[in-house]
Amino acid sequence: MPSPIIRVEHVSKTFISKERKKGEKKKKKAVDALKDVSLDIYDGEFFGLLGPNGAGKTTLIKCLTTLLIPGSGNMWVNGFDVLKEEDKVRASIGCMLMGDRGLYWKLTGRENLNYFGALYHVPKPVRTKRVDELVQLLELSDFVDRTVETFSSGQKMILAFAKSLINDAPILVLDEPTVTMDVPTARKLRSIVHDLHRQGKTIVYTTHLMHEAEELCQRVGIIDRGEIIAVGSPAELKASMRREDAVDIEGIFPANVVEDLRALAGVHSVMVKAEDAGRSKLSILCENSRVMLPRIIEKTIGNGATIEYIKPQEVTLEDVFLAKTGRTLGIDTRQVFGGEAKPSGGGG
Amino acid sequence: MVSRGIGLSVPGFRADLDVLATVLIARLKIISRYRGFLVMEALLPIIFAAFPLLLGTAIGGPNAGANFLRNTGQASVPDVTSYYRLYMLLGACTFTVVTLMMWLIGYWVRREQETGTLESMYLAPAKRFYVLAGVTTYAFLRSMLIFFIALTLGSLAFGVNPLSGNILLALGFMAAGFLPLWGIGFLFGAFILKIKEANSIVQMMQWVVAFLMGIYYPVTFFPPLMQYAAASFPPTMMNDGVRSSVLGVGYLFGSGWWVPFALLIGFSLVLPLLGYQFFLDTERRLKRKEGVGQY
Amino acid sequence: MWGVRQQVSTFYEMSKKTIVEFSRYPIAFGALFVQIFLIIFMFLFAAIAFAPPPDDPNGAGVGSRVAGVMIYGFVINMFLSFTLWEIGFSVREEQARGTLESLYLTPASKFASLLSRIFAILIFTSVFCVLGVLLVHYMVGGIGFQNVGLALLSLLFTISGLLGIGLLFAGISIKLKESAQFLVSGAQFFFMIFSAQFFPFSALRSLHPAIVDYVSAWLPVSYSVDLFRSLLIGLPPGYPELAGGNVATEFLIVILFGIFSPILGYIVYKYVERKARKDGNLGEF
Repeated sequence: MPSPIIRVEHVSKTFISKERKKGEKKKKKAVDALKDVSLDIYDGEFFGLLGPNGAGKTTLIKCLTTLLIPGSGNMWVNGFDVLKEEDKVRASIGCMLMGDRGLYWKLTGRENLNYFGALYHVPKPVRTKRVDELVQLLELSDFVDRTVETFSSGQKMILAFAKSLINDAPILVLDEPTVTMDVPTARKLRSIVHDLHRQGKTIVYTTHLMHEAEELCQRVGIIDRGEIIAVGSPAELKASMRREDAVDIEGIFPANVVEDLRALAGVHSVMVKAEDAGRSKLSILCENSRVMLPRIIEKTIGNGATIEYIKPQEVTLEDVFLAKTGRTLGIDTRQVFGGEAKPSGGGG
Repeated sequence: MVSRGIGLSVPGFRADLDVLATVLIARLKIISRYRGFLVMEALLPIIFAAFPLLLGTAIGGPNAGANFLRNTGQASVPDVTSYYRLYMLLGACTFTVVTLMMWLIGYWVRREQETGTLESMYLAPAKRFYVLAGVTTYAFLRSMLIFFIALTLGSLAFGVNPLSGNILLALGFMAAGFLPLWGIGFLFGAFILKIKEANSIVQMMQWVVAFLMGIYYPVTFFPPLMQYAAASFPPTMMNDGVRSSVLGVGYLFGSGWWVPFALLIGFSLVLPLLGYQFFLDTERRLKRKEGVGQY
Repeated sequence: MWGVRQQVSTFYEMSKKTIVEFSRYPIAFGALFVQIFLIIFMFLFAAIAFAPPPDDPNGAGVGSRVAGVMIYGFVINMFLSFTLWEIGFSVREEQARGTLESLYLTPASKFASLLSRIFAILIFTSVFCVLGVLLVHYMVGGIGFQNVGLALLSLLFTISGLLGIGLLFAGISIKLKESAQFLVSGAQFFFMIFSAQFFPFSALRSLHPAIVDYVSAWLPVSYSVDLFRSLLIGLPPGYPELAGGNVATEFLIVILFGIFSPILGYIVYKYVERKARKDGNLGEF
């Protein structure tokens, strides 16, 4: 097991805000943004921080990157104490914050990269070469020599991403980087981040999009209301649900297939629905469809069946979040359907 | 815990100087891309000087100069008309230097907050001191440029010769006044970080400074207690020193040039350190409360 | 489509919003108060610096007359400044903040939105002006308070005319974007000097008569300034300084300014706004 490159120990943070209601005096309101958060992120890991808006993801990131001093607790990044060795921590991290506006509008893209490169103590000759590399990697050449005020919002985000890579730091922190990007740009960014991870960088990636966390992350920390409620790989987290998975298979099945499937260890039930022209649809409830599916296919084909279509419905991280908190990751979904959240996936 | 290098970063004194230079050059580039801004800035002192001159002409008519000389407690000067015109022009130009320094240094953090670049800057390992040094150097260069352009154009417009007096001493007063201005700028910046309505406070402070500096009149016009307070204000000493050196008249406190000059040097030693410390304390408090990027 | 009642209600809500916004910035309000008084003091001290000796027979009453000219001109300056910045530049501020497009998504009248700003600001400006006048009156031992009714009537038309200038600049701000700030500042200083807001026109004339004859005399704001203060200081010899000293002529110019300026300003504003919506850069920063 590799050693942690980021360690968070019992970190808490409370914000005080003023609440103003009609007809009442202004009141102070304490908001616990982080509550006794402890976390290890390992060297070379792709770690995702998943949670809804307002969960505390950005607060935790800001504490790690020295922008915010926590109320209590300790943190180390790349072997450096976040509170006592701030400059070394900053030099260890390339960071892109959510909705990053941190560019000078009257400077060109290249001038911005050069400027921030200097702030990261990248020597001038190295900096110039690095900027050229980033321009090529991220395909910025069409617009990098124009002032930022002329950029589209997507171009600004890509430049902000380039800025986070300027010092080639061992740790890359990305706070919801694709939130305002169009689909192709977001896809491109994820692909580049994936490549950077393969090159050995440690990536800390916050998102409220479940599919991003599942697609990219080796381990995920689920955060809600300032607390880490679960940590593990996506597979581990889903497995912890101990739920039944559903698999639907359509095709032509000999008579004995159903009995053999029912006898298979891990299969809980098999329902048959006759379709037309000799076809059937089998709805199979089993444990962990990822593990069971190859066995189901083997058994089915082994009995002479012809499989035409398979539709597994597996547990998602959304289900994990829902089980732990009683709410969905995306508030939008709840608003669209109204009332209580509808759990997705699985047979339950 | 594992520790892996710090990427391409090479900290050290050379890198620190590189930060200073890069910050300075970036700001010079930015201001050069605002069309007409510097022109407007250079014209402002001339406009500010024109107001009291026109008012004075309306009140004093052909005796405006003589009235001014008498009311400001001066015995005689070679050219009365040049005297009061240069008086106003120098006051307005020095005031522009003071407010530019206060604005560019004091409002710097707030401006970076507004544009969203403050967080990006705070994420970087660059030492705050060198970033501030870049900003203050830029403020110094810009205000001096505006001062000389405005003085040149104003001298041509008003038909006066600013080179008639002790120019070296005038520049000496200017130089002695800069460090206290930096300190005042930092104190100002620390104050601005704490309040929401920064814009209005800055505008008000500009006029407080203009009033206390006596850009249109000597501070001897104030009631006694206020006189001493105004006279002890570094920008007032700077303004009076520059003006008196060029015009060849008496200095503050009824003394020779060395008294206000020595006081300015004294302020130079204390104010920048005090201001910087206040600024760092405020910054740290902000990081505890809500984070530096909040605007 | 929306009745008068609804429109009035919307206008009321918009005005209330401006006042509420102001009330949540008490420091800003206080700072403005202090700023205005400091400016007045500075000009007073400058005036004292040029005052003739007490025994000068030609100097009798000059000081208080010029102080009156200065402060009443300052009143017009206050209304002009607020109009330029609160209407003219506020559109640009909304554009920069990103709220302009949100405003345009609503069916509320954009004109009413602009007007609601000045309705609230007028109240504050008037209070500041009255206090400023009283301060100078006390400091110099008396300035004129004659022909108050006529002066207020001319002020009413002046404010209407200044509103038109504000609308004109609001339109220009949408188009010019960043450069709008310089234009508005430039306009403010231009009027300060060439409409002689802080000194009599005789001071400009002493520099060169052509400045008054070919620049000041072509600015309607100059007549507003000249008429308002000449009436209040009691029309001493030499006042009003423009239009050959004819009060009726100046009144006519001010009335026409008050009627046609808002119409022209509104036309320009609507034209630029429409063009921006057509070109798709209404929300562009």
